[in-house]
Amino acid sequence: MGKYEARIPTDRSYVPTHMWFRVEGGAYRVGFTAYAVRLLQDVYFLCWNVEPGSAVVAREEIGEIESSKAISTIHAPADGTLISFNQELLGDPTPINVDCYGTGWLFEFEPAGTELLTAADYLGHLEGTWDETQRMIKGQMHD
Amino acid sequence: MAHISVVLSQTRSKNPIKRHLEEEIATALLLESGTDFAVVPHIYDLYPGDTGLLYLSSVKGHIVFLSWLYPRAAHWVLDRNGIKGKSGVTLLKSLGEEEDEEDAGGEEEDHHGVGSDAIPDRHIFCLDLRAYDDPQVYVNEIRRITQEASVKFVPLAGLIQEGTRPAQFQQFTIPGKDDKGFVITGEPRAQRWYPVIDYTRCTNCLECIDFCLFGVYGTDHADKILVESQDNCKRGCPACSRVCPENAIIFPEHKMPAIAGAPGEGPGGLKIDLSRLFGAPSAIELAAKERDTELVRDGRQAVGLTVGIPKRQAGNSPGEKDDLDKLMDDLDRLEL
Repeated sequence: MGKYEARIPTDRSYVPTHMWFRVEGGAYRVGFTAYAVRLLQDVYFLCWNVEPGSAVVAREEIGEIESSKAISTIHAPADGTLISFNQELLGDPTPINVDCYGTGWLFEFEPAGTELLTAADYLGHLEGTWDETQRMIKGQMHD
Repeated sequence: MAHISVVLSQTRSKNPIKRHLEEEIATALLLESGTDFAVVPHIYDLYPGDTGLLYLSSVKGHIVFLSWLYPRAAHWVLDRNGIKGKSGVTLLKSLGEEEDEEDAGGEEEDHHGVGSDAIPDRHIFCLDLRAYDDPQVYVNEIRRITQEASVKFVPLAGLIQEGTRPAQFQQFTIPGKDDKGFVITGEPRAQRWYPVIDYTRCTNCLECIDFCLFGVYGTDHADKILVESQDNCKRGCPACSRVCPENAIIFPEHKMPAIAGAPGEGPGGLKIDLSRLFGAPSAIELAAKERDTELVRDGRQAVGLTVGIPKRQAGNSPGEKDDLDKLMDDLDRLEL
């Protein structure tokens, strides 16, 4: 794996697309993992292209994020309902970088019965896909 | 020298490179004579009554408008907000435009739209801040436009009376310089999503009003199409733009250049798009699917291709060439 430390707290669940899920009120609060933020680096801008309250299907495109490394599309982590977005980030997305597991949360989500990963499962997933991820990133550098 | 107002519509992004470009241009222009300079928030997000729009409405002369949008998109967002003018020709390219492409950023060439109403006799020059990294490129172009305007449009510039500017604009003056600068920013505005119509292309065929089932479109007293209820539009959905036969509907923030107002024709234009040969849905199929997604989200029934589908698709008359015919003709011309 890479040489940077990515903290993966054990008090929440994960999905393989590098988002954490934590029960907050009646729904899950969702955010990027430190691993995702490390790859994105400084986040400059975030926008959503679905309305709050929308039902979405897994991997459906729901937004876009601009960072010092890339402009990337953001996809629904699972089938479910996007309840609301973190309004604080729309004016200034800095909390994603400074507090990705806290104030940098992205949206509230109600999954439609998705199986989530434990922190240990997610770490295992990271180890297992690191070679592939490196190839994906490096491959694009030569485009 | 003719008087020109330069207005910069800010990026929403915190990207330091973009912010730096804006600051460099602002610094240079504040010291320039013959220009009024103002900074407004991202133009697309402003509601009627916002000080940024009030400022723009108060400008009666020529405007150079710098924004992070395609010039065509910026022009028609301004027009929708009642800030109208003739499209001024710039020598700068917009994002993604090749240096050797002839004048695509200039006046509309070959279109036969209904035109916008009540266009005053002044020019609006929209420049795309995404196209060049060097602030000097923009400053030089603004100088060129100012210079040219002083030759071409002297009587006009002399006659136009500037409107009164609301007192709440934070105003600053540069010592030794008569011209003033304005910064109108304040709290970040919520990001909006709605279409704007390019009336140089729009033929008032009303396909869009038939297709959109969310009440975004309406007509004015002369039965001319207009984007009536902008905020009825569904965030991220560009379906009406896909069904527009003239590619006249612009969603300035869509990631497909043809939908976001890039110069030139739509996806069926100059460049060959082979995706349909490989199984991609047609623009109409895609639009119907996008519309269905939004209908279902609203708790309504999906309608597929049964409602408001453009007539040109319903019964492709045998005499008319469709996209694939055109493609085959293009391929023939390649003499492979």
